[in-house]
Amino acid sequence: MNDLTQSAFNKPRVVGQRTPRIDGEFKLTGRAGYTGELLAEGMLYGYPVPATIANGVLESLELDDALAMPGVVDILHHGHFEHLHRSPNSMAHGDMVSEVRLPFEDERIYYHGQYVALVVAETFEQARAAAYRVIARYKEEDGAAIGLLHTDAQGELQESAGTSRGDPEAAFGGAEVKIDSTYQIAAESHLQMEMHATLAEWRDDGKRLVVHESTQGVFFQRNAMARIFGLAQENLEVISHYIGSGFGNKLFMWPHAVATAVAARMAGRPVKVVLPRQQDMTGGGNRPASRQRVRLGADRSGKLTSVIHDSTTETSLVHQYVDACGSATPSFYACDNVSTSQRVLEVNHGTPCPMRAPGEVSGIFALETAMDELAVELGMDPVELRQKNNAEQDPASGLPWSSKHLDECLTSAARRFGWDKRNPAVGSMRDGDEIVGYGMASCTWSAGRQPCEARVELRADGSLFAACGTQDIGTGTYTIVAQAVAELTGADLSRIEVKLGETSLPAGPLSGGSMATATVLPAVAAAVRDALDAIKEVATGSGGAFEGSDADSLEAEQGGLTDGKRRVSFEEILETGKLSSVNGKGSAAPGDERSEYSFRSFGAHFVEIRIDPDISRVRVARVVSTIDIGRAINPPTARNQVEGGIVMGLGMGLLEKLDYDPRDARLINANVADYIVPTHADAPDIDVELLDYPDFKHNEFGGRGVGEIGLTGVAPAIANAIYHATGKRYRDLPITIEALLAAS
Amino acid sequence: MMDDSVHSRTASSETQSLNLTLNGEPLTLQVAPNAVLLDVLREQLGLGGTKKGCDHGQCGACTVQIDGQAMNSCLRLAVMCEGQHVTTVEGLARDGELHPVQQSFLECDAFQCGYCTPGQMMSAAALLEDERIGTDDASVKEAMSGNICRCGAYKNILTAIQQARTQLAHDATAPRKEGVA
Repeated sequence: MNDLTQSAFNKPRVVGQRTPRIDGEFKLTGRAGYTGELLAEGMLYGYPVPATIANGVLESLELDDALAMPGVVDILHHGHFEHLHRSPNSMAHGDMVSEVRLPFEDERIYYHGQYVALVVAETFEQARAAAYRVIARYKEEDGAAIGLLHTDAQGELQESAGTSRGDPEAAFGGAEVKIDSTYQIAAESHLQMEMHATLAEWRDDGKRLVVHESTQGVFFQRNAMARIFGLAQENLEVISHYIGSGFGNKLFMWPHAVATAVAARMAGRPVKVVLPRQQDMTGGGNRPASRQRVRLGADRSGKLTSVIHDSTTETSLVHQYVDACGSATPSFYACDNVSTSQRVLEVNHGTPCPMRAPGEVSGIFALETAMDELAVELGMDPVELRQKNNAEQDPASGLPWSSKHLDECLTSAARRFGWDKRNPAVGSMRDGDEIVGYGMASCTWSAGRQPCEARVELRADGSLFAACGTQDIGTGTYTIVAQAVAELTGADLSRIEVKLGETSLPAGPLSGGSMATATVLPAVAAAVRDALDAIKEVATGSGGAFEGSDADSLEAEQGGLTDGKRRVSFEEILETGKLSSVNGKGSAAPGDERSEYSFRSFGAHFVEIRIDPDISRVRVARVVSTIDIGRAINPPTARNQVEGGIVMGLGMGLLEKLDYDPRDARLINANVADYIVPTHADAPDIDVELLDYPDFKHNEFGGRGVGEIGLTGVAPAIANAIYHATGKRYRDLPITIEALLAAS
Repeated sequence: MMDDSVHSRTASSETQSLNLTLNGEPLTLQVAPNAVLLDVLREQLGLGGTKKGCDHGQCGACTVQIDGQAMNSCLRLAVMCEGQHVTTVEGLARDGELHPVQQSFLECDAFQCGYCTPGQMMSAAALLEDERIGTDDASVKEAMSGNICRCGAYKNILTAIQQARTQLAHDATAPRKEGVA
């Protein structure tokens, strides 16, 4: 793999081809077992009791009535819990958690919804009924930190999260054209359809803990639980076969899982906890609110001379989370003078965590809205302004891009959208009673890669088996692993079984950051090649189908080996060798290419909005996007993710807002009706084009990952379209009907 | 998946007898009076295909058909189903053959994580039989708006529903296959 422009996958048969999901039928018939619906022999149910205040002290719990309820086995709380240790919370050691504070660790209440007790009972109904009967008495304190958008407080500067090159302040001061704007984005809920869920069971006389969890990282949870419970990693198993998505809030473990495992040990029986939606929203993660100031300096020709991007985001009082809004900014545009800074403010909210395109999606809203403001100021077409400032290499690292086709994204999407029909004058485009607005923005996400291991078996029954301890959160990982195996063996997809989501499997990565594809597939390929070497050895050995041949002269083809004259199936080779299977192990990791190139995906969104001025209703009518993600391993599932990101971006732009009560910091809209997300009726016409430039510098499959990028850039494209329609610049998200009314 | 101990545990506290037809099979069971249909399906009967997304009738993941109508199973006490026909996603395929809606969801990649999918399909299968709902895209989107898909696969879901409509119409005119409704 030294020649970074060539690959075994230059002309693939299966990789890059439309492949129906191999787990599809399980999901479509109800046979896919998600954590919350698993049953275990003798299983008990846990139901957490959430704090009803956001700031104060838990003074007492009255438990007698609840304990006397039918079926109640136990109630865990601060005075009745095990002594545990905190996880070191290290990304490098793979034991990061979402909230370092252990459940019931102290009696202080830091946020609304914090668990004050866990009721354990024989049935779900009994646990829930008893949880409602627990009486908690609090001493509520004044002065709750309501949230970043309710205060002028500055927060703590995060020195390590800032960057600077050139002299941005001086360049801004001397710039011919200046933009200086502040942007605010409300906190958002992941609102993944499956709430957090844990089924914990202690086996072998309490020596071994088996946990089913709806998680994006089985290994991270195992490692963290090992530290928390003082167990050897070998005595812990975490399993997650099907995940009702995560969007980042299932990357790292939350306290409910620890409480569930303790309950199971204390009761001596398996315990299952499925968080009620309200608790999932108060204490199961959120995208923190942000306030960003962006200053752009440019000359009259539109060339950027300065970019200064200063951000503040929220964290909770029990865990430090930094949502780095400026992380894409230094790489976005060619400009000699760029700085970013990041502050974090502690608030009385449940702990925030990564949410799809964490940090960058917020930062890109600010930056790409500011670019639109600059285009207006210059009287220049927004597409042209972006082309003029295109970064031919990564200005942050000075390295060449592994592969970048932003210009083609801009021109192709603009053409399909009909951008040339845009009259740039504000409010100039009308259709009947509606004002039409056209807006656009670029989008980007970094292309990362992690170390990974995998195992592959070629079996005497003709089946092939691949295993990796990563997860499929709905992105299609099961299917692309099978595609990789099919590609390298020529075997039919129907013969390939894939196992993911268990810590008993070879170590695999988090399903997050758009890194899983580039991380997992090279390890699977290495394992396939190792298995092929093993079966070639069998075939060329004594009594083998190709006895005496040179192993290097054999190629895999259609699930067998061929010497160019005849083909013998894997089954037959194994049968002849009296073997049940041959195994291959593989590992892969990023290498020297990371110091030679910068890896990042780019794309462009073009949005048409329509506003009915009489009722201040805005509607996203259509979105046309072109995205360069390298090669799409499975184009329909990749496109599906981009389309889904666009829908989520519509929510971010117009609908989504976690509302905290300005009096006491309680979360007002912790339910699916009052926290508004896009529905079928909101979904616009979407036209997504994926360019096909395999990035073999990134990995031999040429894919750069696709989960995040579709979301980035959507909200600013909407806001820019609304400006085009109304002349009103919206710098706060979401752009609600109330905001539109106030402006009209 | 069935766990007999769950039955016996439930039966040991105050329960009521319930007779219903579940996925075409008559069934008598003992349920707690405060047990919600969704929880009885998932926890007592081990039918996990019907999903829990909010318990408040807000997300649609728990949609089942009751006497042919799409309904949120989280908003119904199980005892309310006395004498009714309840169909879950497990009852959508017949004799090992996917329902046209399931088949089109697979072909159109009309899902990602798959968690809202059973609810989407139960609503879709009901609306395709409902003459009150228009066949145009806007009517289908409106009728489907009780089923949230946070992965945002709405475009493909719409395509799948319209494809299933074509298939169902074709099936209705083609010679009837054994065992397929």
